[in-house]
Amino acid sequence: MAEILRRIEVPIGITIICTLLQILPYYFNIPPLLAVSDLFRRWMLLVARWATFVGAVTLMIVHSKNIQQQKKGWPLSIIVIGSIFLLMLPGLPLPEMGLGTKNAFFDYLFTYVYSPLGSTMYSIIAFFITSAAYRAFRARSVEAFLVLFAGILMIAKNAPIMTFLWPPFVPIGNWIYDVPNMATMRAVIIGAAFGAIALAVRTLMGSERGYLRGGREE
Amino acid sequence: MSAFEKLQNIDLRWVYLLVWIAVLGPLMWPLGLPVTVGRDSSTYYNYINDMPDGSVVMFTFDYGVSAMPELFPMTVATFHQLWSRDFKVVVVASWVDGPRIMNMVMEQLKPEQNYQKVYGKDWIELGYFPGSEVGMAALAKDIHGTLAVDYIQNKPTSSFPIMQNIKTAQDIDLIVAHETGTPGLPEWVRQWVTPYDIKMIVGCIGVQVPEVAPYLQAGQCKALLPGLTASAEYELLLRRPGIALSGVDAVSMSHILVIALVVIGNVGFMMARGKRGS
Repeated sequence: MAEILRRIEVPIGITIICTLLQILPYYFNIPPLLAVSDLFRRWMLLVARWATFVGAVTLMIVHSKNIQQQKKGWPLSIIVIGSIFLLMLPGLPLPEMGLGTKNAFFDYLFTYVYSPLGSTMYSIIAFFITSAAYRAFRARSVEAFLVLFAGILMIAKNAPIMTFLWPPFVPIGNWIYDVPNMATMRAVIIGAAFGAIALAVRTLMGSERGYLRGGREE
Repeated sequence: MSAFEKLQNIDLRWVYLLVWIAVLGPLMWPLGLPVTVGRDSSTYYNYINDMPDGSVVMFTFDYGVSAMPELFPMTVATFHQLWSRDFKVVVVASWVDGPRIMNMVMEQLKPEQNYQKVYGKDWIELGYFPGSEVGMAALAKDIHGTLAVDYIQNKPTSSFPIMQNIKTAQDIDLIVAHETGTPGLPEWVRQWVTPYDIKMIVGCIGVQVPEVAPYLQAGQCKALLPGLTASAEYELLLRRPGIALSGVDAVSMSHILVIALVVIGNVGFMMARGKRGS
């Protein structure tokens, strides 16, 4: 029995059934099918919630091994594990013990540690974008000049002081946004959609196995 | 190294220092640079303004704390506009940080004191729903079943007066999504806007704007509030100056700096190339 369950056809079969249960209700209004499809969606929500827990456990296993084997940067793994416990313990869903997302210490950590750290990471992008624009925007060819020129016009359109000083930046920027950008993004979206359809068909046929055991047979 | 080559290779530490000054300077000493209201912010403002009283609006947090510097000002301003009107507001989050960000919105706006909005009657917070797009699909079919208890009082969703007539996507008139990526607008369009013909407006970070453009022109997204500059314009329209207006000077200065650096680099590049050619 165990050997049968380990066969690659089992997860492929489960994938095919789950996929069809989400696709078919779009085309056929069959009440029992709709009910099963709904049930599967609820299961998916449960799986997603448990996946968070599995993620935390996996993170701890990986970093525990780093510490045990004293791999490169292992002191950082101590900080990771310490931070997990620091946030997890006061945030445990036990409101009768004063724990949970309304716990004062958890609230403090979120507001004064996690939020500023997250915002800082995002804000650092300003430095990278500026240095990248300075180094990469070079008019080495006609095409590069066009990209550079369009980029500068868009930057000017988004800077209030520039549009105040020269209002035509607004319609010019709007045209770049509405016409060339729109056409390009539509092509990207439609291309990605075709790719997704092809991937879905391959998955349904069992040809796409990248999501199973890293694509290996065993 | 010639002077022209030096222009192309300014030490990045100087560049970072200039960025730091351009951003921090105006934040500490506001310059009061002029802001002109553009078409995006006025469309967004007017769309909410034109909704009839009694409309059911679902606000969704599709961003985490990392995007707060850019999105939080527009979130606060949007809740100000929503709570200033007689709407029923349902708050959800497809990103796990959403409910915590909502706490900060409540701390700033105090809906009961400043807007006389009663929790559970005029508005409700249902919290985070996992599962990304699948979660959205489940929510559309059955709001009470997917988010069985509210986030603030931890009571059954069905026990609140506001939720008596709000059970599926068909009971929602407008979705307002503030977002940074996936899950976000495309997922809402696939699971809510197209199947149930729900109206949707979006606020997003600046770098995401090109991706949203096709949905906007197709009419699947009715209005877009892009980035901090548009947030500042929106605050002007609301006549309620806030964090965005105080930060927009930094946007202007940092953008001028980027243009100046690009021009300097290219002048150096052209001159060096001309010299080599001659």
